[in-house]
Amino acid sequence: MPIPTPFHSRTSQHCYSLNWKDWAGYYTVSAYDTTHDSEYYALRHSAGLIDVSPLFKYEVHGPDAAAFLSRLTVKDLHKLKLGRVTYLCWCDDDGKVIDDGTVSSLDENYFRVTAAEPSLSWFDRQSRGYNVTIEDSTARIAALSLQGPTSRDILASVVNTDMDTLRFFGVVRCRLDATEVWISRTGYTGDLGYEIWVDSRHAERLYDSIMAAGRAYDLLPCGIDAMDVTRIEAGFIMNGVDYYSANHCLIEEQKNSPYELGLDWAVQLDREPFTGQAALRKEKADGAKRVFVGLDVDWAEVEAAFDKFGLPPDLPGHVWRDGRPVYDENQNWIGQATSGVWSPTLKKNLALAQVTAPFAKVGTRVQFEITVEYRRQVVGATVVTTPFFNPPRKRS
Amino acid sequence: MSSRYDVVVIGAGHNGLTTAAYLAKSGKKVVVVERREAIGGLAAGSEFHPGYRTAGVLHDTTTVRKWVIDDLELRKHGLETRKSAPPVFIPQIDGPGYLHFHDPRAAQKEIGAHSKQDAESYRQYRAFIRKISPVFRSVFDEAPADTDSLGVADLWGLGKKALSLRMLGKNDMMEIFRIVPMCVADWVNEWFESEILRVAVAGPAILNTMTGPWSPGSNLNLLLSEILFDSAVAGGPAALSQSLEKAARAQGVEIRTDAAVTRLKVAEGKIEGVILANGEALEAGLVVASCHPKHLFLDLLPARSLPIQFEQNLLGYRSRGVVAKINLALNGYPQFRCRPDFQPEIVRTGEHIDDLEKAFDPAKYSMFSVEPFLDIWAPSVENPTLAPAGHHVFSIQAHFAPHDLEGGWSDARKEEFFDAAMAALNRYAPGIEQYIVAAELSSPADLEARYRVTGGHLFHGEHAIDQLVVRPVPECSRYLTPFQGLYLCGSGSHPGGGITCAPGALAARAMQSN
Repeated sequence: MPIPTPFHSRTSQHCYSLNWKDWAGYYTVSAYDTTHDSEYYALRHSAGLIDVSPLFKYEVHGPDAAAFLSRLTVKDLHKLKLGRVTYLCWCDDDGKVIDDGTVSSLDENYFRVTAAEPSLSWFDRQSRGYNVTIEDSTARIAALSLQGPTSRDILASVVNTDMDTLRFFGVVRCRLDATEVWISRTGYTGDLGYEIWVDSRHAERLYDSIMAAGRAYDLLPCGIDAMDVTRIEAGFIMNGVDYYSANHCLIEEQKNSPYELGLDWAVQLDREPFTGQAALRKEKADGAKRVFVGLDVDWAEVEAAFDKFGLPPDLPGHVWRDGRPVYDENQNWIGQATSGVWSPTLKKNLALAQVTAPFAKVGTRVQFEITVEYRRQVVGATVVTTPFFNPPRKRS
Repeated sequence: MSSRYDVVVIGAGHNGLTTAAYLAKSGKKVVVVERREAIGGLAAGSEFHPGYRTAGVLHDTTTVRKWVIDDLELRKHGLETRKSAPPVFIPQIDGPGYLHFHDPRAAQKEIGAHSKQDAESYRQYRAFIRKISPVFRSVFDEAPADTDSLGVADLWGLGKKALSLRMLGKNDMMEIFRIVPMCVADWVNEWFESEILRVAVAGPAILNTMTGPWSPGSNLNLLLSEILFDSAVAGGPAALSQSLEKAARAQGVEIRTDAAVTRLKVAEGKIEGVILANGEALEAGLVVASCHPKHLFLDLLPARSLPIQFEQNLLGYRSRGVVAKINLALNGYPQFRCRPDFQPEIVRTGEHIDDLEKAFDPAKYSMFSVEPFLDIWAPSVENPTLAPAGHHVFSIQAHFAPHDLEGGWSDARKEEFFDAAMAALNRYAPGIEQYIVAAELSSPADLEARYRVTGGHLFHGEHAIDQLVVRPVPECSRYLTPFQGLYLCGSGSHPGGGITCAPGALAARAMQSN
């Protein structure tokens, strides 16, 4: 049975819908209201506050912390400066992705890793020969994600640090009202936003401070349904949806390399040995067989497909996560779309997909399968670049 | 300072020397580097007290493969095999004792003194072992098939093995499937009614392994020792090592002692050579390690360079030594009460299967046996030059003395175990202490330190169903390793430990075919 997060006493006051979801063993709000629309618009137009405490968190301490994380992950963490955060993934020996997350450099020889899945055993197993300690801090540290155009102003009004100096993917230790926190300029919405990390014992006080400060900036508590829409617009993949951890896959085809997930840029090959290095080198030389792409599904064709049955088109307002086949123009299977949604901001029907390399070029026309009245239909779609939505304020 | 070779072999034990000789014979420039001051490793004799020598830490040479002796022409280099292996004496407290001959005709009289019926059963038992031997030999005298990427040759090999199994006929084939995972106690109980014969037959199954006769799977160890059994080498392990050394040198192998490897040179997953303790670099595209696989991968290679799954598999490889080696310098041959003046070459204590099991029990809980099970070889019976005239040497593998003894191995604990071993011997040979001129006991921790056998395991890892054939770990099947140019050739690879020379020979063959 799921357990409450450290913010439960606060989030439950707002959750009129009683629409809860189990996220990694915690009760989290799917949507506070009967639909998530208003929460989505808050994230894009003012600010939303999301309880992201269920994220798995690990504190890595010790003189070999950077060396250990560099062996574990696809990045050289010696290069990560103090007060910086980086996004990355980690692989098995065959170069297949186990999980993705962020690493924050919080102090000399002190890093925090976030993960989508329980990872302590995987981390521990690779720590032989490294002078490090690894702590699962998931329960000890609560986290809020404050996202949206007014998020900076909200924080600026309650923290004892200059928010303008906290750059994209920076992290800072500061006080928010009376509470000691870490604030990172990160998020899962592809917008201006922050994540605030706090000792669980002070979670409620933090929540109250932010909500009070946010009143003047149209801050709204947001559930993860709204966040899911924004992450599709941002082109962010999700473990367990767009790919599966290699540890859970039953056959090779289900596994993915970073190159197949659009994470090429994160892989730093030429350095000390790291897990998966040889396989990744080979894959880079040979070229990935599958490529992660964005799809813009033709709305006119969707309308026409429904119209054949005398039906109005079905707008996917919620993110769909059941995979759908993707074909070439001759109906040959070339891959799958793994999640997608109607983007209220872009007014586009978007999907994240993986297709075989020859079909990955931007502008390529493909066929996307939908179901109308229990009949399979194909509609056209175009390969486009991600992020679909990439506002300048994201990096501002 | 650096020198260049085709092949560097780590360790001058019997397997290292075997591999070196094979590879040099095929034209390679080979150097063997040995950490200790002498060659031979666990098969080396040593003077443990002035005037008293052993023939090896391991003492059984009955499993040395004939085809290796022939391939390397070891007879030209001084190796002699005995007509037959010496019988094993099982002394009794109240009874005549039992001298166990391998050959059923020779055994008839001795068995008959204990059970008429068992004399016939033993003949049938030997016949059965003879019948199933080809199947086991086809597994243990050949490199394991590469199940990852089966080639035509592998399929052919597998087919041959399957055929040899099928040729047995359905009943015998099913019998093999039935008996391999059994505990040895159940199996010998099926065959024999006399307890002394049961214990004589079952004994080899638990030598050097973390098993008692009632442990599942222990029967496989018995079958292995039965099937590989052959005549012994005259002069024991030390003589074998000497002839291997001569054969290797004759092929042009350079052997360096006092040459400890401190680390392997690796670049981009490829072996480039070894670095010695004196700083010297030996460059070679091929390195073959006869040392314990855990020592190789966990001590000699950079900790942070092993593939993670491989490292996990390797860490799980069981190598918990259970034997303390006792060498006794004796001023005469001790008197066994049941057969005064009898001077057997091999003696094993324990009159009942449960004596062996009781000796094993404490090992499970990291304690040593209250009454140890002793496998005693007296090499001075065959070779009197090992001790002063009229004097003798007992080379004893004392079971069970677990490596991870609770509280650790201190001098006091060693003394305690030595006393327990002597008390066990004293029950059969009263007054043994009066014969002792000098004694030496090496705990598994000592053996680990001296021979770099991780866990002090004299077979370089437990012999168990899951650790044979796929040995030490799946990635190293067929002597390969995750590092290009690095191969295994020691007891921690197929077909396992003891003095067979098979891993060394099969590894060399596998390398040649690559």
